Amino acid sequence: MQKKSAKKKKNQLLAGIILLVIIFIAGVLFSGKSPMLVVYWMFGIAFGFVLQKSRFCFTASLRDPLLTGSTSVTRAVIVAFAIATVGFAAIQYSAHIKGNPIPGYIFPAGLHTVAGAMMFGIGMVIAGGCASGTLMRVGEGFMQQWIAIVFFVVGSLWGARDFGWWTENVINRFSISDGINKNAVHLPNILGWAGAFFGQLLLLAVLFIAAEWFEYRKFNTSQNSDAQNASIQI
Amino acid sequence: MAEYRLDCLGEACPIPLLKTQKKMAEMKVGDIIIVEIDHSCAMKNVPEWARKEGYNVEIEEVDDGQWEIIIEKNK
Repeated sequence: MQKKSAKKKKNQLLAGIILLVIIFIAGVLFSGKSPMLVVYWMFGIAFGFVLQKSRFCFTASLRDPLLTGSTSVTRAVIVAFAIATVGFAAIQYSAHIKGNPIPGYIFPAGLHTVAGAMMFGIGMVIAGGCASGTLMRVGEGFMQQWIAIVFFVVGSLWGARDFGWWTENVINRFSISDGINKNAVHLPNILGWAGAFFGQLLLLAVLFIAAEWFEYRKFNTSQNSDAQNASIQI
Repeated sequence: MAEYRLDCLGEACPIPLLKTQKKMAEMKVGDIIIVEIDHSCAMKNVPEWARKEGYNVEIEEVDDGQWEIIIEKNK
C-alpha cells in the first residue's frame, strides 16, 4: 500500500492561546454582571470540549446499533442517564425534605411526547446530529451543519412563538397526570421516592445489559460465520 | 488487488458508513479502499464497524478536520 505523505498541517497553537485569552476575558466580563454567568460559561465550554473529544452523539446511540451492531455509544448514553438520575434525585430529594418546590423541568408527558420524539429523531438523522452534536460540529467547521443550525434556530423560535396555542389545544388534552401535578408526571408522586429512584436505575441497568447482549450476539454470530467461511476456503 | 477511493467529503454521518459498507460488499478480497471524510462522527463509526468486521484499518489525518480511512478487505 502506497502511503501518501500527509499535507503539512497548520499550527493551531497561536489560535488556541488567543481563544483561551478570549474565554478568560469573557469570563471576567460575565462575572461583572453575575457570578452565576461565569459558572454557566465554564460549564458550557467544558461540555463542548467533552462532546467534541469523546464524539458523544445521541443520534449515534440509537442509530449505530441498527447500522453496525455497535452499542458502545448507546451504553455511554445509558451510563450518562444513570449518573444524571443520581444527581437529580439528590437535588430534588433534598428540596423535597426541606419542603421547597421541586426543582427541574417537570413537563407534561403524553402522546405529544411520542410525536415530538419521532419528529426530532427523523430530523436529527437527516441533519447529521442532535442539538448538542450540531452545535459541536458548527464549531468544528462542518459547513452542512451551519445550515442545519440556522433552521434549528428558526424552528425553535417558531415553536416558541406558537407554544402557548399548542399547550392549550394539544398538550394539555393528551397528557397524563400523576395526581399532584396537573398535566405532568413526576415519578416519585406515583412510585414513591425510593421506587422511582431505584426503579429508574434498575431499568437503565437492564437496558445496559440488553445493549451489551445485543452487541455480543451480533459480533459473535458474525465471527462464527466468518470462521465457517475461513474453514471452507481452507 | 485494486485500490478504490471513496469521496465522502461534505457527507454527514451516517452516509460515509453506508457508502463504505456498500462499496466493501462489492470489493474482492485483497482490495483496498480509501474513504475520504471530513465529518468527525464518521471518524468513529466507520473504523469501528470495519474493525468489528475484522478488516485492517488505518486512519490518517491528511488535513485539519479531514481524514482518510484506509481499509483492507483482508478476508
